[in-house]
Order: sequence, then C-alpha cells, then structure tokens
Amino acid sequence: MYRLATVLTKSQIRGYQRRKLLSRIFSDPRSILLADLALVAGLGALSYFMIARVFPVEAQSALQQVEGEGLAGIPTAMAFAVILFGILSEISQPVQSMSTDLVNWLPISPAEYVAASALSLSYTYSFLLSMFIGISLGPAIFFGAMSVWVISAAMGVVALTIGACAVEVMRALTNRISSSFYRKSGRSGILIRLFLTIVILVFFQLLFSGPIVVYLLKEVTQAVRAAWFVPVIWPSLVVLGVSEGNTFSSVAFGSLSIAFLITLFALAVVFRALYWVPVPVSIRLSTRAYRPLAQSKGWLGLSPAESAIVRKDWRSLIRRREMARFLAIPFVLAISMSISFLPMSGGSLTEEPGFFALVPLYLIPVAIFCGILSMTSMGQEGYAVWHLYVAPLSSKQLLKAKLLLAVVLGLAFDVGMLIALSLLLRAATANFLVLLALGVIVVFEESTLGIYFAAKFPDFRETIRSRFVSVWGSLAGMFLSLIIAMLTAAPILASIIMTRTITVQLASVGLAIGAVVSILGWRLADRQLKVLLRNIQV
Amino acid sequence: MRALQVNGVAKSFGEVRAVSDVSFGVDHGEIVGLLGPNGSGKSTMMKIIVGILKPDRGNIQVLGTDVVMNPLAVKRTVGFVPESPRLYEFLTGIEYLDFVADVHGLDAQAKQERIMEFLKALDLEGRENELIHGYSQGMKQKLAIIAGLLHKPKILVLDEPLNALDPRSARIVKDLIHKLRDEQVPIIFSTHVLEIADAICDRIVIMYDGRVLEEGTTKDLKMKAGAPGSTLEEVFLKLTGTSDTREIVEALTR
Repeated sequence: MYRLATVLTKSQIRGYQRRKLLSRIFSDPRSILLADLALVAGLGALSYFMIARVFPVEAQSALQQVEGEGLAGIPTAMAFAVILFGILSEISQPVQSMSTDLVNWLPISPAEYVAASALSLSYTYSFLLSMFIGISLGPAIFFGAMSVWVISAAMGVVALTIGACAVEVMRALTNRISSSFYRKSGRSGILIRLFLTIVILVFFQLLFSGPIVVYLLKEVTQAVRAAWFVPVIWPSLVVLGVSEGNTFSSVAFGSLSIAFLITLFALAVVFRALYWVPVPVSIRLSTRAYRPLAQSKGWLGLSPAESAIVRKDWRSLIRRREMARFLAIPFVLAISMSISFLPMSGGSLTEEPGFFALVPLYLIPVAIFCGILSMTSMGQEGYAVWHLYVAPLSSKQLLKAKLLLAVVLGLAFDVGMLIALSLLLRAATANFLVLLALGVIVVFEESTLGIYFAAKFPDFRETIRSRFVSVWGSLAGMFLSLIIAMLTAAPILASIIMTRTITVQLASVGLAIGAVVSILGWRLADRQLKVLLRNIQV
Repeated sequence: MRALQVNGVAKSFGEVRAVSDVSFGVDHGEIVGLLGPNGSGKSTMMKIIVGILKPDRGNIQVLGTDVVMNPLAVKRTVGFVPESPRLYEFLTGIEYLDFVADVHGLDAQAKQERIMEFLKALDLEGRENELIHGYSQGMKQKLAIIAGLLHKPKILVLDEPLNALDPRSARIVKDLIHKLRDEQVPIIFSTHVLEIADAICDRIVIMYDGRVLEEGTTKDLKMKAGAPGSTLEEVFLKLTGTSDTREIVEALTR
C-alpha cells in the first residue's frame, strides 16, 4: 500500500511539476515529510520572531485573544482546502488522465487502493498543513499555548485525511454519474458541464481573492461553533474544547471525528468496489444524417481549411473540460477587477481618479484574456498536432485560423467589459469610443504576439494539468503582453494627466503603436510557425 | 522515374542517431514493406518521407517533388496513417472526417460521398455522431485510415495500419491497399506482423539500427539469408541477428 501510495504521489506531482530535480525530491514521501518539518520549523521561527521583536504590544494582545480560535480553525481550513483542490483537480484535468485503468490490472483490493490514494493525496497537500501549523507555532510558543497547538496539529492531520477520503468518494462517483448523464443528454450535457465547470472555477477562484479570504477567516471560528452538527467541523471543535478546558467536548468530538473518518473511508471503498472499472462514455451529439456545409469558402475571407481549424478549435474550447478554465478567465477577471476598481472610481468615468484608473483596469483583463487564449492555441492541439503537420497548410493559413478565434473571443470580452463598466460609471460617448478603439487594437496586438509565444514555446504534453505553453514561455509572454498593453495605453494616460480628457492626437499615437505592434506580432508569429511546422514535436 | 526515391537520408535527435544514410525507392503500383525491430528508424523514416520531419542530410523525391524544398506540394499528394494515431477526441467521427476533408480542400459533394462510403465499408455507420473519445482503439484506427485515404492520395505511407483492426476490417483495408496498388498508387507499409508483410508487400526493406540492412522480394531475402525454405520471420530474425529467441524463452521460464 505504501509503495502504491508512493507511485500515485509521483504520478500526481509529476503531472504538475516537470522540473526533474524538484519532481524527484518531492516524489519520495520521506523527502516530503522532511520538507514539511523544515517548513513548520522555519515558519514557526519566523512567526515567533515577528511577534517577539516586530509586533507592537497592542498587536500582541490582540493576537493573544484570537490565538485559541485561530488554532481551532486550522483543521476545518485543512479539510476544506483538500476537498477544494481535489474538486479543482478533477474538473480541470483532461478526460484521458482520469482513467484508473492501470490499477485495474494490479492485484490490489479496493480498500488498498483507496487507502493508498488517500495517503498519496495527504502527502501531496501536507505542505498546506505545515504552513498552517508552522505559522501558528510562533504565537503558540510566545503565548504558552503549546498543548492546544499540538492538538490542533494532530486534528489537522485527521482533517487532512478526512478531506482526502471525501475526495476519494467524489472521484469514484464522478465517473459513474457523468457517464450516465452524458449518455442520456448528449450535446446539452456537454454544455451543462461547461457551464457548471465555469461556475465552479469562478466561485473557487474568487474565494481565494484577498478581501473575501479576510472576511472568511474572520467568520470561520464563529461558524465553527454554530455549525457543530457538520462533521467536517468536528476536528476543530476538539481544539476549541481543549483551549476552553472542556474535556468532555474534546473527547466526544474527537471520537466523532475518527468515526466520521472511518465512515468516509468505508464509503469510498464501497463506491470504488462498485465502480472499479471506468464505464466507457459514448456521447451521441446528433441523430441527423451528415450534410456537409455547402460552401464554407469566403467566410470572413477564410479558406475551407482555415475555417475547418477555427471550427475545430471552437469545439475544443466548449467541449474539453480542461479548456473551461480559459472560458472562466473573463468572468473571474471582470468580477475581481470590478471589486477592486469600483470603490476607487469615485462612481464616474468622466473624471479623475476613476477615468485614469479605468484605462489600465479595463485593458489589463483584455490583454490577459487574449494573451492566454492565443498563447495556448498551439499547445492545446496535444498529441493530435500531427494532423496540422500532415495537412497541406502554410504557416500563414494556420496563423489566420488561430488568430481568428482569439480575436473574436477577445473582442466579445472587450466590448462586454467596456459596456458593463460604462453603464456602471456613466461614460461619455466620445470616451467610450476611444476606449473601444484602444481595446480593439490591444486585442489584435496581444493575439498576434500570443501566437508567436504559442509557436515558440508550445507544450503538447497531455498530462493531469496540461499547460499548453512552457512555464518560461507563459511568464515571458504574459510579462511582454502587459508591457505592450500599457505602452499602447501610455499616450492616452498622458493625455488624461495633461488635459484631464482624451485628445485625438494622443489617442491616435496609442492606436498607431498598437497597429505597429500588431503587424510586428503577425510577422513574428508567421516566422515562428514556419519553424514549428518544419519538424514535428511529438 | 520512381514514384519515391530516398537518397542518403540521415536524422538525429540530439545524441541519438535515428536514421543513418538510408536509400531506397518505390515504383508506381508497388507495395514496399518497411520492416525492422522497435527503434530501428521506420517511423522516423516515414515522417521524413511525408514532410513532417526535416532530415539532417539526404534527399527525398516524392512523385518528382523534393520533400525538403516543397513540403506543401508533397503533403497534398500523400496519404499518411501514423502508428497509434492520436485523434481529436472532442470531435465526433463525422466532424473529424469533415475537418480532414476541408483541410485537403474536398468539395461538399465529394466529402459526403467519400465519407459515407468509407464509414459504411469499415462498419462505422451509425456511430459517426458519437464523440471519438468513446470509440474503441480499433474504431479510432479505422477513422485514421479513412482520414489518410479521403483525399484520394497519389502515394500512401502507412505505419502499422492494421493495428487493432478486427479481421473483417483488416481484410477490407488489405484489399483496398491491393486495389490502390493496381491503380498504380505507390505504397509504403510498415508492420511487425511478418505474415502480413509476406502476404501484402511486393518488396521488403529491412531496417536495423537506423540503416537499411537488406532490400528485395521475399524470395531474394530468403536467398540472401541462405535459408530458401524458411519463413519470412526466420529470415528476418537471422538477418537482424535476433534469432537467439530459444535461450531467452528458456531463461524466462526457468
């Protein structure tokens, strides 16, 4: 079981971490344990130093008041974090990576598999627990609350295992439910999955935004007391009991926590035994007889081959679960940027500071969205990329096709966001039109440059979390994208600073910069695609 | 002029020499089998022939066109089925074939006729509206074969095309290959199943360690191996120096 857990951990870590040295170090559970201990000791020393030497006396006493409750929050936070990451991992990985076929061939029982898999999840996410208990170690030593800290750490381990077993139950059920659902619902099932995935991704990504996290941390301890009947919270109630000297409560909730863990484990084993072999999903999207498009030539000036690539890429975007994260980006960006921006806008788009702040806050999400869409456009071909190599396609044809989808979706996002912000902030028509023109040119420059990076740093590997573009490629691409977007907006920003409005002359300079970058991006992308198409990568 | 002429082709991946100084030719209406153990350079050679890998050295002429100088022209004429083809699994079978047909510029009528003919012939009719993700390996292989043949290629390059096919479909594909040979289409065919090579190919090129070891008809190869009454398998094992199978089996069952 230990060996299997090690193999599963290696598989999980290698899916995320491709640097060989780090992957080798962290794929051994003993190394993970050592790293966890080092993290606890390091963070403990740091937090102790901060309290003893840096924090003022008032802050120390404020911290002392919430120390016990903070320690009690650790197990609940741990369980939710593991369940959250488990869900995100399940919904964002490609279907090909989900099969547990390999283990079906091994002489292992469902109980052994569930135990090993839960253990592997616990190894993988143990760094979170180490962070929580490491940060709380310093205050615990300083305020003499070591006994509560030890119980909190122990309950953190129990909560981590509870979270891992919950993920196991969910994994066993997911394949079964989704197979039955898709078989019955076909095309609408795929669209519902897309919608739900986007909603879940948006929800969880917003959950991690700064203001919301602070609010939740404040509320969590009070919620723990109120929601004593929720099993995931029981480990936290053990810690609260110890900190308040209520031995009966601690023993009772401790026993209940262990019983809950055993029940979840048993449930996961039962579901794994029932749905051991993944059910092959065959989804029928239509019952109509095949009728090819009479003439796809001429559509936006694209050839039939280029239109075919656009249609394929669109289907890829709306049908592959690992692509849903890209469609979630505009919503996450729009909502989180609005939360940050609206309070500082002063409620008006026509005057400073709102108008000045709007330009970058409107352009950055547009640049990021177009950059990500176009930078991943080659890598998302995956191992099926050989089709593009075998096809009689020139680099220009491929560039046109890849560019079109990024530009169309980018423009839709651009216009949608600008309309929403303008309605909220009452924009003058002239300013709206100038910003729209600026957004359009940013969409073009970001998309052409993005495709250059897509061709220069493609990652065709299909793994648990496919990246589609190398780490360095995406970092360099994103950095350059933002610089270019700001450079394009600079004349308009200068105009606002100097004249408190947008002058046509300076706006034209911004648009000219955008046009030059777009042409340059097109040429660079075409040249790089030629290089890419010379030798097949996979 | 031969339909395909490969002259002194070499290709390395870093330190690994995949193909070294390979030369052979294929005539119109000829099926040439490319045989060799795993890692002998067959698939690399096929990728170079269809223009998706650039050789480090050497020259390849496909129907009179230089592959390195004009890969697009070659790709228009070639039908290629790679080994264990990975398809776009988020498309349905029909959407996939429609995509391939569009990329090769087939008009709507030709698309409909050829796609429906092939789907019917290879028993995929009725499953064409399902996502490829739910297809079996054999069904995916059939789709890849249809994709390779859809645009009526003037030369065929098939890397293990019969993998995972059921007997009926394998028979249809074999008959199709013979029919195309009769229509003067040159065909390169790689397989690990030597009985198939023996039955299908007019001539065989044996590759080993990135080089051409021997070339000729089955009869020629048997003579060269000094074993005129042997099977192609025995000849292959003898020529590639891998005939010590008995000792290996003994060791494994000890």
